[in-house]
Amino acid sequence: MKREGRKLAPAQRILAMLVVMTTLLAMVLTGCAKKEPAPASFVKTVDDLGKAKIGVQLGTTGDIFASDVEGATVQQFQKGADAIQALKQEKLDCVIIDEQPAKAFVRQNASLSILDEAFAVEEYAIVVAKGNTELTTKINKAIAQLKKDGTLENITKNYIGDSTKGNFPYESPAGTDRSNGTLVMATNAAFEPYEYIQDGKVTGIDVDMAQAICDILGMELKIEDIDFDAIIPAVQSGKADIGVAGMTVTEDRLKSIDFSDSYTTATQVIVVRNGKNDESFNLIDKFKHNFIEENRWQYLTKGLATTVIISFFAVLIGIVLGFLIAIGRSTCDMTGRCKLLNWILKAYLTVIRGTPVVIQLLIIYYVIFASVNVNKTVVAIVAFGLNSAAYIAEIVRSGIMSIDVGQFEAGRSIGFNYTQTMWYFILPQAFKNILPALGNEFIVLLKETSISGYIGIRDLTRGGDLIRSRTYEAFLPLIAVALIYLVIVMGLSALVSRLERKLKTDGR
Amino acid sequence: MTDTTYNTTNETPSAADSDVMIHVEGLEMAFGDLKVLDGITTDIRKGEVLVILGPSGCGKSTFLRCLNLLEVPTGGQIYLDDVELTNPATDINKQRQKMMMVFQHFNLFPHKTILENVTIGPIKLLKEKEQDALERGMELLRRVGLEDKAKAYPSQLSGGQKQRVAICRALAMNPEVILFDEPTSALDPEMVGEVLDVMKELAHSGITMICVTHEMGFAKEVASRVIFLDNGVIAEDGTPKEVFENPKNGRLKDFLSKIL
Repeated sequence: MKREGRKLAPAQRILAMLVVMTTLLAMVLTGCAKKEPAPASFVKTVDDLGKAKIGVQLGTTGDIFASDVEGATVQQFQKGADAIQALKQEKLDCVIIDEQPAKAFVRQNASLSILDEAFAVEEYAIVVAKGNTELTTKINKAIAQLKKDGTLENITKNYIGDSTKGNFPYESPAGTDRSNGTLVMATNAAFEPYEYIQDGKVTGIDVDMAQAICDILGMELKIEDIDFDAIIPAVQSGKADIGVAGMTVTEDRLKSIDFSDSYTTATQVIVVRNGKNDESFNLIDKFKHNFIEENRWQYLTKGLATTVIISFFAVLIGIVLGFLIAIGRSTCDMTGRCKLLNWILKAYLTVIRGTPVVIQLLIIYYVIFASVNVNKTVVAIVAFGLNSAAYIAEIVRSGIMSIDVGQFEAGRSIGFNYTQTMWYFILPQAFKNILPALGNEFIVLLKETSISGYIGIRDLTRGGDLIRSRTYEAFLPLIAVALIYLVIVMGLSALVSRLERKLKTDGR
Repeated sequence: MTDTTYNTTNETPSAADSDVMIHVEGLEMAFGDLKVLDGITTDIRKGEVLVILGPSGCGKSTFLRCLNLLEVPTGGQIYLDDVELTNPATDINKQRQKMMMVFQHFNLFPHKTILENVTIGPIKLLKEKEQDALERGMELLRRVGLEDKAKAYPSQLSGGQKQRVAICRALAMNPEVILFDEPTSALDPEMVGEVLDVMKELAHSGITMICVTHEMGFAKEVASRVIFLDNGVIAEDGTPKEVFENPKNGRLKDFLSKIL
């Protein structure tokens, strides 16, 4: 009976897999079959905003304006593209966003229109850390020069205007000196045409302008693509030297950072549904659009590699540190000595387990490593490793406690010291007992790394986001990302159960 | 053997002092307010087979576990070959290697094979060559009739077999003395015999043994000396013949009348 049962297991797994696949396929088909156009928004003028559900990008001037509209419900999104998607799905009545990105969105979505009424005019400027007048002065001089010689105008023309688009690509002058160091620019590349991702690279008006400024200053430009609301903290903490992301000068922002002179003016506009149908694609076209064009599949493969690297090394840190903490705590509990160490370890566990991992990640990046220029992947590995260690420590401790005290006495009575007894007898048995829980922790950790995007790491989840921000399509990128996670987790589970079977010593 | 066959071959407690292996002086052990051992003083000589009797809760097991410091005594001293075990400066791990213990619940290592259970001590602690240790381990297993189980795991063995392996594990360390803590109490009745046979054979080989047991037959037949513990003190101490046939202590009489 037992043998048969075990032989059936792979078949069952395949069956389960098939069920999942079929369900997904059914969802794809129903998703595509939906041809009925979404009804037009009731918002026709600025006056209608009072009763509307307004979508904005978190921390933008649109956000500030919308919050001032009395009676309106404002929903903040990490990215403009997410707000647009919500609008298309009738979760919002309108989106307030900068004119140029709005045009890009409307160009790609026939079901959306921009209201003629402009909402507000504003000026974009470069963000510099407060008090860094030396850099601000240098940048202001460079902007003035770029305005004067027409470079700035050409850069803008290259991205805006149907007749001029693509005709004025900016190129650094040959033999530009870059001996004055690196200028790190924080931006949020989901804001076409100012900054967006094409062929895996951040590009746009702001990027070209920053490059032109660097060329004048004799510096190397380095771009950090992070969340919009993280740009100002990044500049404040020194993670970035400047923030360039279509940022408007506001009173509130001036309290925490300095602005350069304005380099362009922009308008906030209102995007609404017009009741028309989007151009309809069949599934194959959609697939091509999402994954094949511009080699977008690379966002997923590169993201997957990053996710795997972060998870792998975080697990290593978690296991080593977790075992050490667990052994430390068990020893303290058993001997009643080293109360201080036990207290410190307990405090560590309490803090780590009592706060969300995304907060820990942000604290480690923006507070602990604030002034250190360190690879973001390393930051993520450290953050997830420290986090996982707390959970693994408690798992291991429960494993140690699950071992009969007689095992410990047997080891000690033969003459093994405490450490040897732990190493030869207690830990191997504890490890076997906790293997399922450990496997579970690895799975949780792998999936938790999907928040790496918060500090601008392009992991698997962020890879899917990047595709979404370019194709305005939620379904395929999200399902693809979900499937990849699912496959890795299934592989991981299979590995763990193989190890479990291997460690079985009861001969059954 | 009948109940009245007493062991007379081994040394008696009156042997020369130079043979003293373990000296216990005023041993006290308290768990909180509960005083389990209340001043025990005795000598255990080389080659002695000492059986400790006593009603449940009298401190027999605690006494045994104090001898190898699995329980740290709250008072008194214990000497092994003139080394004071109760002195914190003593390397207790080194001393324990001379004094093995066999547990009521065997406490074999379930993740190791039978042969590994027997040989891990000699290999890791005595630094014996692996080949030598394995050969000797097999020989010990052969002695207790379990050589065919060498590659099996403890969970595949019966209780009696496990306890025989545990005895092999103790013997593999070439100890000077073996402490038996109720070695047959957790066994099914039909398995008690096979373990007692091994212990009897051991006793006749001249190794020093200290046994906490309820097997009166074993005590009478094999012990060279019997101690009766009551209320944390030695209430009676003598040869099996003296203790079983002429008990002086009232509690001992009471105890014997109940179990014989």
